[in-house]
Amino acid sequence: MMIEIGHLAVIMALVLSAVGIVTPMIGLKRQNGVWIQIGKQAVTANFVLLSIGMATMIYSYATQDYSVKYIAATSNSRLPMFYKVAGLWGGHEGSLLLWSWILSLYCMMAVWIHWKTQPVVMPYLIAMESLILHGFLLLILFLSNPFERIFPVPVDGRDLNPLLQDPAMVIHPPMLYLGYVGLSIPFCFAMAALFSGRLGEEWIKVTQRWTLLAWIALTTGVLMGGYWAYYELGWGGYWGWDPVENAAFMPWLVATAFLHSVMVQESRKMFKVWNLFLIILAFSLSLIGTFLVRSGVLSSVHSFATDPGRGLFILAFLAFMLLLSFGTLIFRSGKLKSQIELDSMISREAVFLFNNLFFLVAMVTVFIGTLYPLLTEALKFKKVSVGPPYYNAVFMPVALGLIFLMGIGPYIPWRKASRESLKKHFLIPLLFSGAGLVFFAILGVHDLYALAGLTVVCFVLASIVSDFSKISMFWAKQRRVNHLSGLYVAFRQNPRRFAGIITHVGVLIMIVGIIFSTIYQTEKVVILKPGEEVTLNSFKIRLIKLYETTGPNWVAQEGFFQVYLGNTLIAQLTPQKRLFTVSQTPTTETALHQYDMGHIFLTIPEVAPDGSWARVRALYNPLVLWVWYGGAVMVFGAFLNIFRPKRKEIYSEGIATLTPFSSKKMVQE
Amino acid sequence: MKFTKKTGVILSVGIIAICLGYLAFGNFGQNLVYFFTPSEVSAFTQDHFGKKVRVAGLVVKQSVKIVPETKNINFELTDGKVVIPVTFEGIPPDLFKEGQGAVVEGYWDSDKRLHSQMIMAKHSEDYMPPDMKKAGVALPKKDFYKTLKVD
Repeated sequence: MMIEIGHLAVIMALVLSAVGIVTPMIGLKRQNGVWIQIGKQAVTANFVLLSIGMATMIYSYATQDYSVKYIAATSNSRLPMFYKVAGLWGGHEGSLLLWSWILSLYCMMAVWIHWKTQPVVMPYLIAMESLILHGFLLLILFLSNPFERIFPVPVDGRDLNPLLQDPAMVIHPPMLYLGYVGLSIPFCFAMAALFSGRLGEEWIKVTQRWTLLAWIALTTGVLMGGYWAYYELGWGGYWGWDPVENAAFMPWLVATAFLHSVMVQESRKMFKVWNLFLIILAFSLSLIGTFLVRSGVLSSVHSFATDPGRGLFILAFLAFMLLLSFGTLIFRSGKLKSQIELDSMISREAVFLFNNLFFLVAMVTVFIGTLYPLLTEALKFKKVSVGPPYYNAVFMPVALGLIFLMGIGPYIPWRKASRESLKKHFLIPLLFSGAGLVFFAILGVHDLYALAGLTVVCFVLASIVSDFSKISMFWAKQRRVNHLSGLYVAFRQNPRRFAGIITHVGVLIMIVGIIFSTIYQTEKVVILKPGEEVTLNSFKIRLIKLYETTGPNWVAQEGFFQVYLGNTLIAQLTPQKRLFTVSQTPTTETALHQYDMGHIFLTIPEVAPDGSWARVRALYNPLVLWVWYGGAVMVFGAFLNIFRPKRKEIYSEGIATLTPFSSKKMVQE
Repeated sequence: MKFTKKTGVILSVGIIAICLGYLAFGNFGQNLVYFFTPSEVSAFTQDHFGKKVRVAGLVVKQSVKIVPETKNINFELTDGKVVIPVTFEGIPPDLFKEGQGAVVEGYWDSDKRLHSQMIMAKHSEDYMPPDMKKAGVALPKKDFYKTLKVD
């Protein structure tokens, strides 16, 4: 019964989303606010209806209603409650429902928050969001219905894929969707700006925080996916250029480019068409990502059911959205000529230009690498796959370039940098990075990219530190306080800039983590009998015994290992080879021990049936935790940016001209 | 032609774009790995030896043998027509099992044997625990090769 209520609610949402497209348009045509009000109510009602849909699904999962086909396919009575609920987004149908629910939530929030301040673009916004929602609800109800029943009712469910039975996997998909769908708000505002002809900087200012929110969710989602792959798949890495990872990475790259280039429009009123293009591209890539993962054209742990009908529908919907958005952009681009041209290649504008170029090149690389194999297959050519060397060839130099720009961008003036200002800001960082180069070379870093990467990181770090120290000294002197308070004053003066720098620091931490954990990873794969040991770097890893153990829905062979550093016992690890009993699926459970911000990583991918030996894979990943710590700092910086305190203009113009923030200074010139 | 700022911008952006493009696609061909069936691989001639390939097939039942000293794994792969021998040095993935599909990446050598260090095995997309088919939850069986689309 419950499930029918949910089904009915979603059907009503389909109808109301159509109402949400039509009524605001009628309201505009007739210049009648009542119609637009109806649209607003439809948006709210849609959220309520889809929430009912979600709630009945969750209820049916919890009460184990296996007469629902989708639940029977993704749940099982022996599953812990936590994963029973998460089964909702463990497959195709449920995750689309989640997608739509998040969209309706965002849409309602946007309409409520901006209703009073943005009355002119509201009808367009409501119509556009409703259009996207309508498309997805059509897909859900006609091609992948999670409410569908089966008969005869199975005794028990088929179980959730064991690889997805993991805490990170419970939060990872909703996070990604919050990111994907979050991009729809700036996208819809951009479209509203295009339709309404209000093409100033307004839509960018309104959507700045929304974009950051989506970016945070996307970043967290990608990072959590990486962490999940790291310990759950047991291969010791966190990024493998898997098409499904790429699907989330592409919108991230473009969203990041967009977050940078909007600053140029805000400050210099340039890049107008470009910004519209970027946000349309970012959201289109979100849709493409959904298409790639959910249509079943890619097979991986993420995509389950294949059904060409769904793929075709999403593709048609995607084509429609692309035509509509890019078409409108081309149609309107004549109105968008910016009067200001780039003054010099040595300026902040130019840095942003190259930043965008690098991000776009990265995106195109991933795009081609991901879709080329699909294309050759569709055209009945030979089946191919594109490997990591292809991606790495581009990503290493692009990443170096981007990090380098991070050291320049915030410190180079707008318009044109003079020789003196360059020297003043970059002499110390350059010297420092030179010293860093020598230091790491002596330390024994011989990999060319690693050495270059670390040198550039030194440059950026020195750039940031020298700038911060200058500002804090300046304000400390001005206000006769200590340097820390000086830094705080500076933060209050320009919180957005500070938040940005914190995100950059996060990137630096992550880069160092990536360099060390990939280049200096050590690996040993050996066969051990109980009592034998293997030496890995300075660690001795001894297998004490192998035995059987059980969990709620699995049995496992577990190895008991002791890790020694010299003669001291530093850890006891118990990796497992599990067998999930319902599905008869084996998995390899990793055991990790944190050592010096790195990990000793242990798996037993193969155990002799009689328990006499185990194949042991031991890895040492130095500084690998920095990858996620860095990610956390990045996200923290972005949060700070969203909830930044209001900028305080405490000082008179006269003093402001003296501020060491180069941007302010140059505007004065 | 007068060298203006605009041409300068276009030139520098263009040069960098071309450099990056070359990095990506200069070696594009070498970074591609082709998929073959066991029949195609067994028909390879001299000039294909030692090139990296991916072979998709079914692991022949009762063919998986662990070589005692090295703990390498020998097994056979078939597409229903031809059976090829594989020597695998490495860690078999969790889902590697007799009677199931696998994609094996490796080199076909003059000894008419596939030497591999990487196997990708997946359960089919139907994700069907064996005893559940009886329970009536079974989905229609999909084309076998479709389930082998890995990566």
